[in-house]
Amino acid sequence: MLLHIGGFRLDTESDRNTPWHQLIPRTRVLCAFLLVFAIALTPNGQWLTWAVYGLAVAAIAVISQVRLLDLIKRVAVEFLFVGLVLLGTLFRSGGEVVWQWGILRITTEGLTVLGSVSLKMLLCLTMLNILVLTTSISNLLHALKELRVPKLLVAILFSMHRYIQVLVDEINCMKKAAQSRNLFAQARGKRLVIGNIMGSLFIRTLERGEQIHQAMLARGYTGLPPVLDPPLSQARDRRALAIVLILVLSGQIFHWQLRSTFN
Amino acid sequence: MHHNPISIQNVSYSYPDGTQALNQIHFYIHATERVALIGANGSGKSTLLQHLNGLLLPQTGTITIGELPMTADNLPAIRNFVGLVFQNPDNQLFMPTVWEDVTFGPMNQGLRGEALERRTELALWAVGLDPMRFGKRPAGNLSGGEKKRVAIAGVLAMEPQVIVLDEPTAQLDPRSRRQLMRLLDSLPQTQIIATHDLDLALELCNRTILLSQGQIVYDGETHAILGDADLLEQYALELPLSYSRPYCQLEHAPLR
Repeated sequence: MLLHIGGFRLDTESDRNTPWHQLIPRTRVLCAFLLVFAIALTPNGQWLTWAVYGLAVAAIAVISQVRLLDLIKRVAVEFLFVGLVLLGTLFRSGGEVVWQWGILRITTEGLTVLGSVSLKMLLCLTMLNILVLTTSISNLLHALKELRVPKLLVAILFSMHRYIQVLVDEINCMKKAAQSRNLFAQARGKRLVIGNIMGSLFIRTLERGEQIHQAMLARGYTGLPPVLDPPLSQARDRRALAIVLILVLSGQIFHWQLRSTFN
Repeated sequence: MHHNPISIQNVSYSYPDGTQALNQIHFYIHATERVALIGANGSGKSTLLQHLNGLLLPQTGTITIGELPMTADNLPAIRNFVGLVFQNPDNQLFMPTVWEDVTFGPMNQGLRGEALERRTELALWAVGLDPMRFGKRPAGNLSGGEKKRVAIAGVLAMEPQVIVLDEPTAQLDPRSRRQLMRLLDSLPQTQIIATHDLDLALELCNRTILLSQGQIVYDGETHAILGDADLLEQYALELPLSYSRPYCQLEHAPLR
């Protein structure tokens, strides 16, 4: 979720007033995590369960009125990264051989695993992106803190988010400096310059990060960004959690009922 | 306001690479004084400023801020007492919007609700920025002068008794520089201003401390030091422009 360096503001849809946005951040995080864990922990091949969860994720996307194009763009970038890692599962042994070329063979087991994991990943990424699009980083981190995530971990996440902006600033600065001297004119030169930029980035961001940290300390920073008093959960938050919980359970029950019917 | 907010006695500091940045620094600053800290690059100005806010702790000697000795336990109170404005506002503005950045300090002090809003608005008005207009703007998209003002507002919102400024007029255009000088002149707090802008020092500060190689080589009247061309040259400085021009009106300048 932190890879969208071009458009750095992550919570582009946090200003809306929808039933999803009316939930306090803690509830939104809990709903998202419940669904993500349910999706991820469902054993491979339970397609019907994921169909139920997919409908739940789609319903949240519709209710929260996130821009579909933004959501797809973000999910696509992230899916590309993780998808490459997943390709290896396609060649897993077990089941019937569907296709073979030399030592490479695709089996029904491999296809089931790849399909299942890809679907899990797609649904999880979509849910998490809806959460990030609709909730500011500050609210997200404080929700995590309220949910008893270790303080140090939350502080590390806050710093990561803050320093990505520093990284972007420094890259842009060096890119402009290189462009102004025509260093991007040739393809070979371009590669060389990008290599050097990456090298200097480590040194420069280290220094700049230190200065920013000092500025934060100078204004009383103690490890977590300050936040206004956390909002109290209301009846609608409890209702939302109950609905998500029922959906999570019904996905599993639906699968087992259908299975026992056919058996 | 504390009558003797800063006391520094025989403070020395060396960086891990062995560079002696401060050597036996000793001075007092009284309430409402406005003191210029001048010196060539690498003379130890920034290192000294970081000691005043507790970002660096003295290796030898003692620093007392108000009545608090500079120790790790007293750092939260000291940082509320001494507000530090950094040279580069880009390093200081780290929250997404102007409003969030100015509220960062007072919220760390525990302020919430109406009191927080009032203090933030006052701080923004004090630096000449309309909270309604600037509050929601992303801090990164402001002009250099506006960023500097927001950085100062962020410190003012903490209501410190001492404001320490590192090169406040660096990177500012003449109008922003003039506005900033008026602003500093209007603030009642004790101020310590590290600067290469000797005209600013001359205009705003009655007292000047000259640092060279980590040592104080002059501490006294601003007019006396800034009028001494030989002494200034000896320490890699030069007369303020307002002193160095030998004529009052441009039309009296010799034709070339």
